[in-house]
Order: sequence, then structure tokens, then C-alpha cells
Amino acid sequence: MNSIVVKDVKYEYINRENEKPSEALNDISFVVKEGEFVAIVGRNGSGKSTLARHLNALLLPTAGTVCIFGKYTNAEDLIWEIRSQLGMVFQNPDNQIVATTVEEDVAFGPENLGIEPADIRRRIDESLEKVNMSKYLNHSPYMLSGGQKQRVAIAGVLAMEPKCLVLDEATSMLDPIGRNDVMKILKKLNIDEGITIVLITHHMDEAAQAQRVILIDEGKLVIEGSPRAVFAQTETIKKAGMDIPQVSSFYVSAVDAGIIQKDQMPVVLDESEDLFSKYCFLSKKHATLPKLDNNLLEKEKVIEVRDLSYIYMPDAPLEKQALTDVSLDVYKGEILGIIGHTGSGKSTLIQHLNGLLTPKSGSINVMGVVPMGKALKELRKKVGLIFQNPEDQLFEETVRKDIAFGLRKRGLSDLEIEERVTEAALTTGLPLEVLDKSPFELSGGQKRRVAIAGVIAMEPEVLVLDEPTAGLDPAGSAEIYQFLLKLRQERDTTIIIVSHTMEDIANYCDKVAVMDHGKLVLVGKTREVFNNKDFLSQIGLDVPQITELFYRLNKKDPHIRKDILTVEEAISELKRITMN
Amino acid sequence: MLKNITMGQYIPGNSIIHRADPRTKIIWTIFLMIGLFAAKNIFGYAMVIAMVGIILLVSDVPIAYTLRGLKPLFVILIITAAINVFTYPGDTVLVSLGVLKITLEGITQAIFIAIRLSLMVIIGSILTLTTTPISLTNGLETLMAPLKKIRVPVHEMAMMMSIALRFIPTLLEETDRIIKAQSSRGADFDTGNFLEKAKSFIPVLIPLFVSAFKRAEELATAMESRCYRGDINRTRLKELNYTKDDAKISIFLSIFFVVFILTKVFT
Repeated sequence: MNSIVVKDVKYEYINRENEKPSEALNDISFVVKEGEFVAIVGRNGSGKSTLARHLNALLLPTAGTVCIFGKYTNAEDLIWEIRSQLGMVFQNPDNQIVATTVEEDVAFGPENLGIEPADIRRRIDESLEKVNMSKYLNHSPYMLSGGQKQRVAIAGVLAMEPKCLVLDEATSMLDPIGRNDVMKILKKLNIDEGITIVLITHHMDEAAQAQRVILIDEGKLVIEGSPRAVFAQTETIKKAGMDIPQVSSFYVSAVDAGIIQKDQMPVVLDESEDLFSKYCFLSKKHATLPKLDNNLLEKEKVIEVRDLSYIYMPDAPLEKQALTDVSLDVYKGEILGIIGHTGSGKSTLIQHLNGLLTPKSGSINVMGVVPMGKALKELRKKVGLIFQNPEDQLFEETVRKDIAFGLRKRGLSDLEIEERVTEAALTTGLPLEVLDKSPFELSGGQKRRVAIAGVIAMEPEVLVLDEPTAGLDPAGSAEIYQFLLKLRQERDTTIIIVSHTMEDIANYCDKVAVMDHGKLVLVGKTREVFNNKDFLSQIGLDVPQITELFYRLNKKDPHIRKDILTVEEAISELKRITMN
Repeated sequence: MLKNITMGQYIPGNSIIHRADPRTKIIWTIFLMIGLFAAKNIFGYAMVIAMVGIILLVSDVPIAYTLRGLKPLFVILIITAAINVFTYPGDTVLVSLGVLKITLEGITQAIFIAIRLSLMVIIGSILTLTTTPISLTNGLETLMAPLKKIRVPVHEMAMMMSIALRFIPTLLEETDRIIKAQSSRGADFDTGNFLEKAKSFIPVLIPLFVSAFKRAEELATAMESRCYRGDINRTRLKELNYTKDDAKISIFLSIFFVVFILTKVFT
């Protein structure tokens, strides 16, 4: 039987009166069979969330039909039945939890269905068990981590005993551990309980774990098929603003370069390891390791953190030691990545850098400025801090005014403000015509640029960004990093990036600092840091997929380098070991 | 600043007060407050204070924590007390400053008012500290259920209240984050006169409202997709049930009120 039949669905919505309606979905058709695990991928604004909302009648198609377990969504009297059979989990964990305890929240769905209390109790226990959250029955959801909240949200849907689960970018706001936990649970539900899973995502490594992938762009279905078949059409995927997993991309480049024979494309790490193991033991020589250039050390030191400790709410029941004796040096013009779990102290550390928090113990020196009293203003001029999802802070009538906000506060002349706003817009790749629009009209990616432009316009010498690419699709993320690199090149700006995306850290950072439980546990050149794979695993951090692959190959054949950071490096190493 | 507010928080526990039915707690809270206003002399206040003290001890909530909830009230206490000191009519003049007179009656009245306000907050805090927001709203909803007959949207009001309670910590955290983010962008909240300071909060308030609306919309969608359709055909995980605990509390407090009324009549 089919779980979902979407037939020729069109969806138009009216942005403003007297304007031509925009088409979010354009003649899209596909089928999901019962018990399948399907990933729907597409860039920001491709229509995938609109599509998700059609699946349980939150939206009704302008034309065409959506049929869920044999019931059409436009039949009004069947809506509640459809919604109890097809449950949805949304993006933001905070905005879908209704109640103040985990138990009450999971009960919400069954209560709405009019289930008997004893039966609700059983359903709560069973669903929490399935998502490994039984321990948290009486917790307040507010105290849980993002991944845990999302698991509670899944349990809340499971308690309605649905046959199909649709997750609308439910992993996009989570850290790697949270994402991993959610993925594991989804797979288990799919295999053990036979629940149909529709995972909407722009993380291709998640899509790779599905049975089938549907790529949509501009409201149309572009390709569908097994992950392998879909990823093989690399060009089409890139055109749709998406990317393929590093191991697949490595395989494609290796075939294109004629280094290896065409074979089955690997889409996950294990497959890739099997494929490339063939090339072990070809070379008897170790690679000549590249010399790490140390010229950065000769540069001027811009930030010096010494023995910094910080405690939240000292002497209160919820007291929390957020930082313990952190010492760190940052040099002019370098790009430093800070990695670590949620709650490892990264945010606390960066908030010290522009004086939002002042050191309670230890010291900070930013180019001679010590964060105290009047000097705080001076410090904020030198260090620009951009929080996660900075677009949430936009508030002016026009983009121009919003970018100029900080400059105006600083009392610059109108002429200079105008100049700097234009320059910041150009740097961040904002088209100048959006300057007179309201920031609230822009797309998510453009809003983010506006917010970053607002800080760049103040020309800080150090730019600190917390998860600058969170929630952006691969193409959007790449653009952010491109202009950050340009900024460094043009102005020698020192850039500090906090991120969970190890591929980006490996690609763009000169140095990496690793935080764990409030301590700085490792700091060094990016290559050195990722070379400590075992240590990073111990504290639960990943390395880029390609690094992991070569690490595994190196275990088999020590002649293979294990300090590979990018696909390009992997290709040249593969060349070397296959050449002799 | 915001972390001092203890009213509205819930501290998990397993005391008799925690276990009692929310309806019992709401009703007796109301009676205690009425009693507080009925108390006119030192005996009356002493009795209510003793009662509140007993409840505090039995309820297992940290007393220091409860008292800390009075801190934000301090300014209001001082102001009301001051007004009473100077304006309450009395004959026993202690100090006279031109038109202003400080009388013994004024001072006693000021002290009583301060005690009354503090006790009100403490009584209210005990209710919220020992009752989860959900069971509090459940209790209110059930108590007010008769009003449904005259088309008062009791269920909707209760749901709104519980959602509001659920989002208080989330929005507090968000406010904190927006203030920090705008400070990083050059906003200044500390300098300038009152008007300038008020204006400087626009960059905080607009994003906060935008986000609150967005949250409201997303939450509504999530609730809809979990089959929420108001009060229609809805059951409850925890049906409210009176138990022995409620009987014990009610008997004890009834005796208290009988004694309270008797002393009032005979003094």
C-alpha cells in the first residue's frame, strides 16, 4: 500500500495584494510506499517545507491531490484521521513543545484524540522508551538540549501511534550529537516498527542514509531514486544548490581524474572504505608530509586570553562552571575555528572577547585593550561578534538603516555611513537594490548577510562568528565562507568561527581550538588538530568524512597519510599511492 | 535582574502540599488571602503568619528561596509603607513636619500593609512553587467549568495561560540574547536620560515581538498537526481526583478558620 500519493500538486500563494501569486509548488508528483525511508532534499526556498505542510493537510493544494493512506487531504472530515496517522516534527524544537513537562507534552496528542487516561499513560511510556528519553519523564523541556527536545517532539508524535512520520528539517538546528541520535532513532523506528519516514533535509549525509532521495528545486521534482543514483548526477545536484557527501565527491573526482576504475559510487563512509581498501598496500613509501608553515607565529598577537574562568549563577542551585582556566592566543589575520559540544563553553568564551561577559578570574587583552568599564566600548569597536541566527536581530524599516545602526550609534557622518553601508553590502554579496527594502521581506540567506554586513560595516579588526552557516543550504554556506575569506584577504581581519560543521572548519580555518567541559583541551594548526582523531572521538567530536576515510585506510596501510583535510588533498594522496 | 522572580516557578517535591489536588490549593489560597484582609489587629496577623509558616514548613520548599521572591517587591513595599506613614489619619502624633504628620497609627498601618503584601506574595508563591503550571491551569479550568455554560471560553483561557507559562523561560533567554547581540552591534542601554534609555530598547523589542509572533505561528501549526482542536472530545492524562491529602488539608484549614473567626468575634 502507498503511504503518500502526491499527484500534480500546485500551490500558489499571494505575497501582496495586486501581485502575481508566487508558485511554491509546481506540478509535483511522487509516491511513498508504506515502510519506506525517503529523504526530500532541496535548497532553502525550494518548496520542501511547503510540500511537507501538504502532507497532513496543514496546507491544501491549489491544484492536484494529496492522498495519505487512501484518504484525500481536501476531504475536511478526514483531516483529524490523516493527522493522527501522519505525524509531523518541525524545525525548531522550542516552538513545538506545548507543555511544561516532558510527560505532559507527550500526552498532548493522545489527549486531543480523546484517548483514555490509562491508555495515554501506556503510550507515553512506550514512546519515550522508543526515543530513549524515559529518564526525563518529569523534566522541564526547557532544561533539555536541542537533540533531546527534538526526541521529545518525536515521542509526542509517536504517542498518537502514526503510521508515517514526516520531519521538516527537524535536524537542522541540532548539533552533530543531537543529529546523530535523531537519525538513529528514525532508522530504528523505520526498521523495527515499520513506520514510514519522510525526512526533509539539506544535509546530504543524512539523505545518503535513506532508501530513496527526492531532490526538489523551484517547486519541481528534479530527480528521484536511490541515493547512489541521485548523487551520481552531480551536476544536476550542484545546479539545484546542493552538494554530495565528501566520500561521493571524492569518488567522482577520482574517476574523473582517471585514477580509479568506474565502480559503484559510495554514498556512506563504510562503502567508501570498502571501495578504497583495494588501493591499500600499493605504495611502499610514506608520503613526504608537507611542512607546516609557521609564519603565522611571527604575526602580531591580537588576542591574549590567560587563565580565564567563568561561573554562571555562582552560589545558586543551578551554578555552572562554564570556563576553567582557558588560555589562548590569536594572531593577526588568522582564521581560528573553535569546536566543541553544545555546552562546552564556546559561547561563553567568545562573549568574553567583546566584553559581553567580563572576566571574573583570569585576564583578556585585545590589542592592548582590557575589558573593563569605559574600555568596553573601545573593545566592541575592535571586536565584532555575530551571534547564531543574527537575522533574528534585524529591526529597522530598511536594510540600509539596519546595516547603518551601529555606525549611527558611533556618530559617523552621513556620507561616511553611506559609503560604509554600500561597501559592506558589496562585501557580503548583497545586491544594492535590496538596501531600500524591508529586511523582513528578504530570504533567510539574504537576511543573514544583512546582519553580518551590519557588523562588518563597523570595520572590526577581529570578527567572531557563532555558527555563521547554521540552517543554510550548501551553496549558501559556501558563499558566506567565500566573503569571509575575501574580508581577511582585503583587510587582514582576524576571524574566529565557532562551528559544528567539521568540513568547513577543515576547509577554511588555519588553526583550531577544541573545547570540552569548559576547558580548552587542544589548540593547533587545523591539520595537527584533526590528526588527533582518537582524542576527538573520545570527547565525542567528529572529523570531516574524508579525514575519517583516510584515517581508516591508514589503519590498514600505514603508508597512507591520515592527515587529509579536503577532497583535493585526498585526490593527490590517492594519486601518489597508485602511481608507484 | 530577572532571575530573582520566584513567583511562577515550580520546585518539584513530594510533600502533602505538592500531592494535593490543585483545586484544593487554589480554593484555600483564596481563603487565606481573604483571611489576610480580614485580619485587623496583631492577633489576626500573628495567626495568619503562623499558618503560612506551617504551610511553608510542610510544603518542603526552600524558605530562603521563597523569601527571595520578595526582593523585587521591595520598592513597592517601601513606597506603600511611606504613603501610609504620612497619610493615615491618627491622633498620636509622633513627629510633625509642617503639613506632614507621622502618627503611631500611621506607622502601625504601614507595617501591617507591608506584612499583608509580603504574605500575599508568599502565599501565592507557595501555590505556584508546589503546583506544576499544567495542573494549576487544569485546576482553574475545572473550577471555572460552570462558566462554560454562559459561553466563557474557559478551556481556551486555561490553554493560553499554560502556554504563556511554558514560554516564559524561553522568552527570557531570548531577550537576554537579543540584548547581547544588539550590544555587539553598538547598541547602548546604559547611558542617556530616561527617554533615550527607553528608546534604546526599540532594537530589542521589535526583534522580540517578531520572534514571539513567529513562535506563536509555529506553535499553532505544531499543535494543529497534533490534532488540537480546542475542547472538542479531549481527555486528560491526569484526571483531577481528591484524595486523603486534600481531606487532611481541608480539615486542618477549616479548623484554623473557625478559630480565626472566633477570635475575631471575641476580641
